[in-house]
Amino acid sequence: MIELCNVSKFFDQTPAVEELTLSIPKGKFCALVGTSGCGKSTTLRMINRLLTHSSGEIELDGQSIDAYDPVLLRRRIGYVIQNTGLFPHWNVARNIGLVPRLLKWPTAQVNQRVEELMGLLGLPVSEFAHKYPHQLSGGQAQRVGVARALAADPDILLMDEPFGALDPITREKLQEMLMQLQARLHKTIVFVTHDMDEALRLADMLVVMRDGRIVQQGTPLSLLQKPTDSFVDSLLGGLERGLKQASLTRVKDHMAPLGPHLPAQSRVMTEQTLRQALSMMLRDHCEWLTVVDQHDVPVGELSLRKLVKEAFQAQEKSRDV
Amino acid sequence: MTSRPVHPRSAYHPIQLLWPLMWLVLLVGVVLMIPHAQTLFQWLAPDARQVIYQRADFTQLLGRHLMVVGVAASITITLGVLAGVMVTRQWGRDFLPLVSQIASLGQTFPPVAVLALAVPALGFGTIPIIVALVLYGLLPIVRNTIAGLKDVDPGVVSAAYGMGMTPGQILRQVELPLAAPVILAGIRTSVTINIATAALGATVGASNLGDPIIAGIVNANNAYIVQGAMVIALLAVSIDSIFEVFQRRLRLHTP
Amino acid sequence: MDKRPPNWVMTVLSIVMLVALWGLDNVSVAANRIVAGSGYASWEAFGWMGVALASLLLLFVLLMAWQPTHSRLNLLSQLAAIILLLLLMPFGLMAASAALIDPQMPQARLSAGAAYWVVLFCALLALVELRLRLALSRFWIVLIMSGVGGLWWLCASLWLDRLALVQEFQAREAAFWLAFSEHLAMVSIAVGVSIVLGIILALLIRRYRAIQRGAFALLNFFQTIPSLALFGLLLAPLAWVSANVPFAAALGIQGIGWTPALLALVIYSLLPMVRNTYVALEAVSPDVLDAASGMGMYPSQRFWQVRVPLALPILLEGIRITAVQAIGLTAVAALIGAGGLGSFIFQGLGQAAMDMVLLGALPILLIALVVDAGLGALSEALRQGASDD
Repeated sequence: MIELCNVSKFFDQTPAVEELTLSIPKGKFCALVGTSGCGKSTTLRMINRLLTHSSGEIELDGQSIDAYDPVLLRRRIGYVIQNTGLFPHWNVARNIGLVPRLLKWPTAQVNQRVEELMGLLGLPVSEFAHKYPHQLSGGQAQRVGVARALAADPDILLMDEPFGALDPITREKLQEMLMQLQARLHKTIVFVTHDMDEALRLADMLVVMRDGRIVQQGTPLSLLQKPTDSFVDSLLGGLERGLKQASLTRVKDHMAPLGPHLPAQSRVMTEQTLRQALSMMLRDHCEWLTVVDQHDVPVGELSLRKLVKEAFQAQEKSRDV
Repeated sequence: MTSRPVHPRSAYHPIQLLWPLMWLVLLVGVVLMIPHAQTLFQWLAPDARQVIYQRADFTQLLGRHLMVVGVAASITITLGVLAGVMVTRQWGRDFLPLVSQIASLGQTFPPVAVLALAVPALGFGTIPIIVALVLYGLLPIVRNTIAGLKDVDPGVVSAAYGMGMTPGQILRQVELPLAAPVILAGIRTSVTINIATAALGATVGASNLGDPIIAGIVNANNAYIVQGAMVIALLAVSIDSIFEVFQRRLRLHTP
Repeated sequence: MDKRPPNWVMTVLSIVMLVALWGLDNVSVAANRIVAGSGYASWEAFGWMGVALASLLLLFVLLMAWQPTHSRLNLLSQLAAIILLLLLMPFGLMAASAALIDPQMPQARLSAGAAYWVVLFCALLALVELRLRLALSRFWIVLIMSGVGGLWWLCASLWLDRLALVQEFQAREAAFWLAFSEHLAMVSIAVGVSIVLGIILALLIRRYRAIQRGAFALLNFFQTIPSLALFGLLLAPLAWVSANVPFAAALGIQGIGWTPALLALVIYSLLPMVRNTYVALEAVSPDVLDAASGMGMYPSQRFWQVRVPLALPILLEGIRITAVQAIGLTAVAALIGAGGLGSFIFQGLGQAAMDMVLLGALPILLIALVVDAGLGALSEALRQGASDD
């Protein structure tokens, strides 16, 4: 549980963050989104006291972060940055074992933890343990960066545009990896990005910032349905918003029971997104699809007309927690 | 970003030790041979009565030279790195512009002029030379320490803070190791200049390897000059090649 | 206004100056050239008024530096106080020579003491610091320095004939100017020759990559050899040549004197010249060169119209390093009879006449600084010109 209450940060006289109030429940993935210079990174860096907030209160699990020694606080919080910040003169294993060693874990335990994490992040120990950061590709390096942040098993993970410097394909792979990790580990994650698609894809909770203030916060779907102003609307993709919303919705949530008529030629799986279903309708010139389960058994149907009519309101509640 | 070719650490090979070893053997050999090479030096200075420099043993001169340079270098390295570290800390930043400006401006001062100015202030002898060597030798070390520390990727330092390292841990485990190649290059420059400048110290009353050269010039005795010059040159080249090996090793550790 | 901690640099400098002013000997007076002088404290030399004035100026700087607000006006007032201090310093020496020197003793001479040097040194540091804080352009610093230098020169030549340094100068004015021009001539010839040789070598290295490693290793090797040793090592073979080759002797080649000096200077100058020329030519962005070819330039056009102009600033940087190094090495060359300002240094050291050492060392320092600043400014101007296009 991370709570920020009326937090402001001034650099000299210029405000970077103003009167920010935000509560991130335990185990949630919260994305801070906005254009560069909107104060999202500043907010992140105030949580682990890399920056000291000028006013307001920041609390972790009900205790003010001012009560902690900053160094000890940071050892309890994982931190991942864009250009990995891996120590170039240390090999992968030593980089990952950094925080456990700072916490004076016994060597054997550190080594065991390092191996465990390398396995978790898909970095074979025999191949990577003794490599140096400059011998890694960008994607591998950022995997090591994430492993390093997770090493001491922190409850909170702060990620500052971690995938911003990667090519689109690698970025997508790492996003996938992060989603799988989060499904297993349930960390409280604060994730800064300017890539709205990334935020929509990963986050349970979206916070849009502009000029140091929160413009809107909520679940990705609620924002897509009802952006508060044109800024959020354009950030969410403007005209593309409908499709983005569709890509967050599963087919199974909108299918109707199998009708009396013959099954359609085109088939879509329950776990696929509405966006993929719509694309299929456009490609195959049809207004309805047969929905099948993973064994290719028809379980329902999806009609374009019905989709348009329903919009998405009813399903909103199921995602809202 | 693509993965670069792998440089295994075994790229460091003992063969690289061959050069400094060769120069050192040559240095020792020449120092030991000089007293026995009467005929050779007679040929260099046919008119001279005496062709082997006798006022002091060459091993002794070499020892004094090394002592002066060694003492100066230890003080210089300690002070220089300390100063470079201090002005790059948060609380010392006030001094950074001035210190780096002096360090680069100071490179313009010829070592002879510095030595010559040290004498009126400090007098003749070994101590003034050491002081002059320290003052002059500080500049490249301070400059390179500052440059090396500034070159450290701010992202790496920021990550180190974010991981919960203390400023002391960051300095010792991250900043200094990463700046080491640049700092070592500064130390190399400093020591090379000091070996040469210390020889000039013979003109201000220090007794070292510069002595035979000065004596040879004064007495027009080429044999003395060549003896002194050979030993200094070999000393400088030996020390420099030792630094070369160190630098290669460091470069392997910090890509 | 934003509150900041005091300017520690100016605070420390002004405290050091105050301590020196009150705690160290400010001048020394000697009966003649050889005997050691006896020191006098600041108030004995300048009178209470003079010390009070200097202390007030320094206290003002201290006070200003301690102010928590760093406005431009504050810094400018500190600058003005420091300049005033520098301008007043020669008058202090005049007061000292009037107060302390017995006019009956024609040999008596005045030298600046520890306090004087410390204050001068710290004031120059303060000038550098304030220049950096105020981000003054080179023009202003040249103006200030030439103003201060001009006044010092005027005082020295008109009224400070009791100052030991001035006496040394007047006693050997002709020799000084001869040595000065010898020094400059030797540096110019050495730098000139090494520019030509250096560029040719760099072009050869570019063409025949095979010799690159060897050539740089050799030049590096020479650079490592201490100057005194290289001068010495060249002396013997050149002496042999001049003794055994009549033609060479007729050309003036000999073991001692300018021949080995010039040869050694050129050898030392080659490394920075070749390295910078090579790096300069290599550092031109391949994209630019690619574009030039793409636009239909001939290789020769591309070389002269693109590569060379873009390489020029780094090339000038090489010339600057070479020239500054040669100025210092030429001083050492005086030991092997090559003349130049170094001869005053070594003669002075031989005779324990420290003012004569200064007479050699100070101009060398000045030449080095002026050449460094001049070539630095030229290279900067070229760089700007290149980036404006």
